[in-house]
Amino acid sequence: MRSITKLSLVVAALVLTGTALQAQTNNASITATASVQTPINVVGAQQLSFGNVFPGVNKTIAATDLTNAGRFDVTGQASTPVTISFTLPATLGSAGNTMPIVSYTGVHAQNNAQTGGSAFSPVAGATPTLNASGALWVWVGAQVQPATNQAAGVYTGSITMTVVY
Amino acid sequence: MKRESWVLIGAMLLSVPLLAQGKPLTVTGVRGVTFGAVLPGVPRVVLRTDPANSGQFDVKGPKGGPVLLSFVLPLTMTGPAGALMPIVFGSSDAGYSATQSIGSQVGFDPRQPTTVVFPNNGNVSVFVGATANPGTNQRAGAYTGTITLTVTYL
Repeated sequence: MRSITKLSLVVAALVLTGTALQAQTNNASITATASVQTPINVVGAQQLSFGNVFPGVNKTIAATDLTNAGRFDVTGQASTPVTISFTLPATLGSAGNTMPIVSYTGVHAQNNAQTGGSAFSPVAGATPTLNASGALWVWVGAQVQPATNQAAGVYTGSITMTVVY
Repeated sequence: MKRESWVLIGAMLLSVPLLAQGKPLTVTGVRGVTFGAVLPGVPRVVLRTDPANSGQFDVKGPKGGPVLLSFVLPLTMTGPAGALMPIVFGSSDAGYSATQSIGSQVGFDPRQPTTVVFPNNGNVSVFVGATANPGTNQRAGAYTGTITLTVTYL
């Protein structure tokens, strides 16, 4: 083989080697994954109902009163703890008149019959756990204190419960 | 000197810098970033030092050579019916380990291209963490996003 041919082969080999090494960039990918659990849903299921109230006579509805206590129904991720907190009115109102509402009480349970339920203070809030189906029930009671000269009428106020994981 | 010799020398000089770069550059995705169960409204942080949940890339390349690490990072993860969940990368959510040990990382910002020098064995690992930020009404289900690491010889 002539020397010029040998030289050509050497040069070609060197250039090809160099070219192969010119693959100067490489990359790879990985995946970020997450499994989002069931969002919380809260329903105001039953109003806190004091019924007829007489001036000068305080009236209390216990949180254990399944008929008249206010009730919230909560759904979310099964067997998961949540934090509940409340915005509680200090008075009920009626056409510009007000009536104090005080001494809030609460019960939370993993069933709608309060079996095995736990009492708590709505003012302080609570950290119950959703049941195995992702459900929780919360009841609220309180006392209204009508004045002796309380104006007649229908008095209302809003109780708001917030639930977060 | 003969003309052929000059050509040969020129070709060798051209090749020497390339040959000096050593073994080919490879990047391998070893492990994804795993947030696991995420509750709506509750941010979930995965640290780059988390041995089970942080992401990991292994890189083989030039012994002692400088390389540029750059990420393509997702802004969101995609879930059921196209639902999106934000994913955030902080200024120290990536780490580079010359010993490939998750316990001996040098942190860096994955949002910025970063130059590092390979160790003499040419093997490094890059770890990455992140934060998932689900909304309070985030749709339940599985979410995924792709993180790409590009390594470039300098």
